[in-house]
Amino acid sequence: MKPTATIALIGNPNTGKSTLFNCLTGLRQHIANYPGITVDKKTGSMDVCGRTLEVVDLPGTYSLKAASEDERVVMDVLEGRNGARPDLLVFVVDATNIKRNLLLVSQAAELGLPAIIALNQCDAAKRNGITIEVAELSQRLGVQVIETVATRGRGVEDLKKAVCAALDHPSRLQRIEWPTCVTDSREMVRNGVRNLGGGEISDAEALRLIFDADSAHAASLPNQSQVALMIHSAREKIRAGGYSPGSVESVLHYRHIERLLDGVVASVGPVARTHESVDALLLNRFWGLLIFLGVMYVVFQSLYSWAGPLMDSVETATGWVQELVGPWLESAPTLQSLVVDGIIGGVGGVVVFMPQILILFFFIALLEDTGYMARAAFLMDKIFGWCGLNGKSFVPMLSGYACAIPGVMAARTLEDPKARLTTILMVPLMSCSARLPVYVLLIGAFIEPAYGPIVAGWALFGMHFIGIALALPIAWVVNRLYLKIKPQPFILEMPDYRVPTLRNVFFRMWERGREFVVRAGTVILAFSVLIWALLYFPRDASVEEKTRAAYVAEVSVSSTVAGVETALADPDSEQFTVLQQRIDGAYIEQSYLGRFGKWAQPVFDPAGFDWKITVGVLSSFPAREVIIATLGILYNLGAEVDEGSDDLRTVLAQEKWTEGPRMGQPVFTLPVVIGIMVFFALCAQCGATVAVVAKELNWRWAAISFFGMTALAWISAVLIYQVSGLFV
Amino acid sequence: MSSVLSLDKVPVGSGGLISAISSECDRAGRLSVLGFIPGRSLRVVRVAPLGDPISVSLDAQEISLRLTEAALIQVSVQP
Repeated sequence: MKPTATIALIGNPNTGKSTLFNCLTGLRQHIANYPGITVDKKTGSMDVCGRTLEVVDLPGTYSLKAASEDERVVMDVLEGRNGARPDLLVFVVDATNIKRNLLLVSQAAELGLPAIIALNQCDAAKRNGITIEVAELSQRLGVQVIETVATRGRGVEDLKKAVCAALDHPSRLQRIEWPTCVTDSREMVRNGVRNLGGGEISDAEALRLIFDADSAHAASLPNQSQVALMIHSAREKIRAGGYSPGSVESVLHYRHIERLLDGVVASVGPVARTHESVDALLLNRFWGLLIFLGVMYVVFQSLYSWAGPLMDSVETATGWVQELVGPWLESAPTLQSLVVDGIIGGVGGVVVFMPQILILFFFIALLEDTGYMARAAFLMDKIFGWCGLNGKSFVPMLSGYACAIPGVMAARTLEDPKARLTTILMVPLMSCSARLPVYVLLIGAFIEPAYGPIVAGWALFGMHFIGIALALPIAWVVNRLYLKIKPQPFILEMPDYRVPTLRNVFFRMWERGREFVVRAGTVILAFSVLIWALLYFPRDASVEEKTRAAYVAEVSVSSTVAGVETALADPDSEQFTVLQQRIDGAYIEQSYLGRFGKWAQPVFDPAGFDWKITVGVLSSFPAREVIIATLGILYNLGAEVDEGSDDLRTVLAQEKWTEGPRMGQPVFTLPVVIGIMVFFALCAQCGATVAVVAKELNWRWAAISFFGMTALAWISAVLIYQVSGLFV
Repeated sequence: MSSVLSLDKVPVGSGGLISAISSECDRAGRLSVLGFIPGRSLRVVRVAPLGDPISVSLDAQEISLRLTEAALIQVSVQP
């Protein structure tokens, strides 16, 4: 059924707005972006009194002030800039902090839209000794007020009835009475915008232009400089009236709200808030930090130890499906390879991220719903604040050590768009678990035999440390030089501790998981197929013949040609396996990506990489974990090698330059080995991460992240090789 | 006896009435939304273990803010 009306949920952060949204719409939700920006637009539908309504869950906000694009969303929706205006506003008001919550209500009253109020968390308010005369409040506000406890589903039916009633008989909120200095300057701005060609704006929009020092609305008007001049004189008019233009809005709204609440809200004195004694422990100088480390240890240990086996079983299942489907397509080798390696492998490559995403968001939902996340941010803010991140960056950054995908998604917990952007750009620099095989292979092959296990251990630690050691200064530079977004104050509400509901926790996991599959999964799959094609084609049959002929000629030195041919006819013979491995190696060398690698080798020559390393590096761009298998194929050992493989270690140690000025010298010298590891530590070799960054921000930022990290990796590898060359 | 201090200088456990907020900047506007407006009373609840941010109780809420923002708020401290 087509929705007959649209209602918008609006309220402060931490009011239980999203929980109420889930109660109203159930699983009938979808998430999209608001046009042009990355703020989630959550919509759902609900059936009440015989009609279907569309429900929009607006981003939580303390006020209608909009300094950034993200914050403009609420005002844009309310003004109907992206479609029709909502037919009804449902304000979600936290009963435990009603005065501050009503500020947004009082501001939005200017819009003149029909409204009702859901007075949420009434149970907690009662526990805190707050009593509210609901009928009187409703009378004074001019709209219905419904008591709800969204976490327990209480009052939801009443709210639905009230929505019906309000749609049939709309009532509007009382607007506050502005002093003449405000109304005069409002008229001045309205007329001014019209004269400057900005069209008609509403009273509410005119007020936003006046009150918000750097209004995001002003940016959309023509004749910027004249608009700015006009706003300046409007603010001067307010100052002449005896008010400070920066705070006049809040001051007057709060005065209005205090009158409104007088005699309606009673509080039995300043009760000791439930969280104070808990905070004394959890935010203690010593115990607080210790407990924080303990909590994070549990979260990330679980992420490692629970996700590991699940990811393995996803990989096993992928392999099983590949083996099941493979034989069916035996007659068409290209299609077989496309389906088995490109598509099934690609789907597996999407699903494999699900365990980590689900587990991480399980913990994030727990941390947020209990109220601990705000405390963790309070503890950590100093460490991250200096470079433009904030305390909430901690969890995304730490998740990045397991995998950048859930880490980038976890950056949504940051409300400040600038800190969120910077965090997303830094998370991929954390050394994720897919980099580990490269470190293990190279440290095991070159550093441990030469320098012993202690140095090897430090080398491994160093590789994990280099990302974060570079990320914070880079964040500082990026923030200082490039980001034009204005810094926002890090103001954090310390919510009461609450018992999370499982329903809500699972809802969040489901939401994030589905979103990853739908939004990033398709892009990752496309990447997978593209890279498969680059490694498969042109697949000239002569490659196989030539490799075979060369092999026969080589082996027949010690045996007869006939003997070799007999051995090759037997698929179980050693010679057959060796030849197959060589053919795979030759095909990859002849593939478009292989040719590109050979052609691009001069680019990596300053870092001491030969063409095989170059092909390995390039073929790792879609997913760095394939490097070991690629090296296996390139060194004719087959794709089944792993990082602990002695064969691969031996082959690498023996590899020598076959041409150029370094002919005859070993390829894998210590600077090259360190260079490769640092390259892998810093490079953006993960198509899935690029896709997720693009979906969380946009393709421009994804490109900046990709090229920035790749350049950083290249420069670092070259520096290591060149500088060490000065000393040897 | 009361003295006026900027909020970043107010010791933990003390509080008083907000006497002024440095005006005209966007940050002050944001603080005012949360209730940091002249005449309201507040109290510094604690300082983060690493010295910044601080956490302040204001009305029915507890809010954490960095020292740079706290410095914008003038408090007439009451013992």
